Order: sequence, then structure tokens, then C-alpha cells
Amino acid sequence: MGEFTSGFFIGDQPTNGRVLVVDDEADVRKVVRMTLQKAGYDVLEAENGEKAIETINSGENRLLLDVLICDIRMPKINGVEAIAYFRANYPRVPVIVLTGFPDADMATSMLRQGVVDYLVKPVEGEKLRESVARAMEQRELAHL
Amino acid sequence: MEGKAIVPPLHPGGHAVPPLTDRAVVSKLAPTKVAILGAGRGGTALLDLLHLIPSVEIVGISDRDPGAPGLSRAKNLRIPVVDRLEELVYNHGVNLIMDVTGDPEVERFVQLHKRPETEVLSGSAARLLWELVRHEANLQAELFHAEKLAGIGSFAAGVAHDINNPLQLIMGLAENLSEETDLKTVREQAHEIVEAVRRTSAICRDLTQYARKTSARDETVVYLNNRLDEALKIARYAASFHDINVRQEYEDGAAARGNPDEILHILVNLITNAVQAMEQGGGTLTLTTEHFSDGVTLRISDTGCGIEPQVLDQIFEPFFTTKEPGKGTGLGLYNVKAIVTKMRGKIDVDSRVDCGTTFTITFPSPSEGST
Repeated sequence: MGEFTSGFFIGDQPTNGRVLVVDDEADVRKVVRMTLQKAGYDVLEAENGEKAIETINSGENRLLLDVLICDIRMPKINGVEAIAYFRANYPRVPVIVLTGFPDADMATSMLRQGVVDYLVKPVEGEKLRESVARAMEQRELAHL
Repeated sequence: MEGKAIVPPLHPGGHAVPPLTDRAVVSKLAPTKVAILGAGRGGTALLDLLHLIPSVEIVGISDRDPGAPGLSRAKNLRIPVVDRLEELVYNHGVNLIMDVTGDPEVERFVQLHKRPETEVLSGSAARLLWELVRHEANLQAELFHAEKLAGIGSFAAGVAHDINNPLQLIMGLAENLSEETDLKTVREQAHEIVEAVRRTSAICRDLTQYARKTSARDETVVYLNNRLDEALKIARYAASFHDINVRQEYEDGAAARGNPDEILHILVNLITNAVQAMEQGGGTLTLTTEHFSDGVTLRISDTGCGIEPQVLDQIFEPFFTTKEPGKGTGLGLYNVKAIVTKMRGKIDVDSRVDCGTTFTITFPSPSEGST
């Protein structure tokens, strides 16, 4: 278990924070979940931007979400639209892009919109955990 | 279409000469009837070009060598193959003899025995003509390939998505396996890695096969339903199929005679266009094949943005595109029409703005003796 930062409790277990993973590929969601759970995060999943918006707006999740990890190329509401929605409505929730398509223009545009990291698949577990930990720090600073 | 305006005047020699302005009308009434002597490379090149021209009727082709390549090509195109070339020389219905045998004996025979009103193209003039035809055919092939490669550039995002997602799975599972102690989980995850590698290598195989230069193999019978399925797979790299409902309404055994690589490419083009037309808001892509008495109909239909009526008659022109600069070559539909015409087929488009577009292609039945 890594350091305890946000003080949330899921059931009786303390977690390092709650992360929502938005990706249309179940396999990707599965390994991101596996990687982050090992570091003590509670992980929620959504298969597209529409489901992500539903998830974050449903009851307690609105209060408990710490970090959003979002793909770009997805059905329904794609990553660009979903991120714009989250940045507008939940500006304190840091967003990490995890995409299969390295695109410098897209990365620049996303970082300008306040995305904290732009990761290209396949990303190593350690790098992903570091990125989420950094995002968590920003989240805490935003609370101060 | 009978009428006084199209009666050709006589020139001083007494031969009918069509007025320049009425050429198209005259050609509908009186096609130039051509006999081709020689079915080697030159004869085959002429055959390939002339059979596409509506105002030309190829009366027959002949060669003293029964194994000459142009003879089997002519059979595929349902053009009469004449055993003795003398018969074509004597034929009353021939306006023009094109002698590409390069044989001085044949040339002499033609000059001596042809009908007075029959014109002859032979010797170095005929050779120059078929060289030009061959050059043109090579350019067309290069253009076709260049357009295909340009299109593959647009596959980058789709390919990256489909390769990097399984790679992410492989990375995550492999990292987990280095610490995993439960043997059952180890076996399951090792199996998942193998499957992910297979999926990734299938993408590379599909794309390298598609990207290769169209093979020069002879035309064959191509089963259109299989080709449509294959094209659907490739088009998924070029356009996002999110929110697209695909309906496949195939009739068994739908087939046409053509080059399989070329047919695949034109189907990829049409499917990609259809899906891109539905980028905003999704829709339904319907792929249909059905038989009719003399052939087969293939339809690719979308419920997308449609084509503006004022540009509908330009879409098959070279370099015409409605896409943003750098996004399209303007050669896609031009190549589609060229290939369909080469296969003796017809392509029609029906489109309504905000309702969708349907491309309907009809191909004649593949002739007998096919593979």
C-alpha cells in the first residue's frame, strides 16, 4: 500500500483515492485497474464519455472522484468532448489522457485545456502510477 | 435518334465524314468496327483500351499463335476470337484493321486483300499506338497505387488504436506475471498475452497485404460477399465505426470477373466514404448484393450527410474532392469508376442531403471458363 493521501474510505478500507478509467477497450480498463489497485487506488470504469458523465453524476461518485484517466478515440461521446465536459464541470478533478495514438497537436491542445498528463499506450505500470500520484498531489493542492 | 442534322456530308473523295460537332451523336449510330491482327502484348493492350470505348466495336481478334495472351483475354471479354486472320481481312463489316503482328507477310496480305473502304493501321504507326496505350495503362496503374497508398496514411489513428490497445494489455499482464504466484492466474494471463499478440499480428498481415502493389495476375471470378467483408475490416482503420450500425444483406454466390485486389480497394474506398459521411451522429451502413438476370448488383448505402446536388455529377472526376485540403486525393471515386468500367460494370449514385447516399454498381455475370 502506498502513502495515504485523500482519506477516502470505500467500505471499511482506506484507499489512496478514487480513479475513473474511461476507455472503450475492456482489456485496457482491466490492466489499468489491476495496476492501480496494486497501488491502493479504488478504480471505477466507464466504456465511453457518455457513461463516464453518467458515472460521475451519479450520487456519491461526484464527491469521491480524485482522478480521471481518459482515452480519446471512443464511441458515443469521445475523449475530447468528455474531457471538455469534465474540465468545465469538475475543474478540480485532474485529467490524464491515455491514448493509443501519439499526436503532438492533440497533446498540446489537451495540455492547454488543463490535462495534467498525456500518456501513450502501452504505458508501463510504474509510469502510470507516478502520473496518478502527481495528479493526486495537484488535486490536494487545489483543495487548499 | 434519327434526323437530318446527323447525316454525314461527303468529302471530295466521296467518303462519309462525320461533322466534328456531331461526333458523339454519329458515334452512337455508327460505331467504328475494328479488327485486331496480333494478340501478343500489343494486341492485348489495344483490346484492353478499345473495349472500354463505347463508339468502338471490336469485330474480332486473331493470331497465328493459338497460345497468344490476347486470345484468352478476348474470350474473357466476350470478344470473338477468329482462327484465321484472313477472315478478318475479308470481313465486310470492318472499318479499321489494326495490325500489330509486326509480320511483313501479314502486312502485305492485308494491303492486297483488304476491302477498299477499310482503313489500315500497321507497321511503326501501330507499334507507336500500342506503346502509347501501354504507357497510359502503366500510368493508370501507378495512379491507382499512389491513391491507395495516400489513403493508407489515413489509417494511422485506427492502426495505432488497434495495435497499442493489445500492447497495453500485454504490458500490464506481463508486469503482473513477474509478481504473480497463483499458477492458474499465470496460465490464464499467459494465454491472454498470446491471443493479444495474435490479434496484433493479424492487423499487420491485413495491412501489408492491402498495401502491396496490385498484382498483375489475370482477372478471375471474385466473390463479392467475401470482398465486402474484407473491405469492411480494412475500412475500420480508415474511419471510425463508432455509432455505425452495419447491415450485410448478401445473396449467396454474388460474383463478378475482375482483379481481386482492385475490387477490394474500390470497396474500401466506398465503405470509407460512407462511414465518413456519418461521422456526425452515426447511422446505418448497408451492404447489399443481389443477382439479376444478367449479372449482379452491389449497393453501398449510408444514412449520412449526403452529397450536394450541384456537385453530384462531378464526384467521379479526377481531383474532385469535398474533403479538407490534405484529407483526400480526389482520386478515390475516379479510380472506383475506372475499375468498374474496366470490369464492364456500371456505377450510379443516388444522394439526398441529410438523408444519405447509395452507390449502386452492376457487374455482368462472370463468363464461363473462370477459375
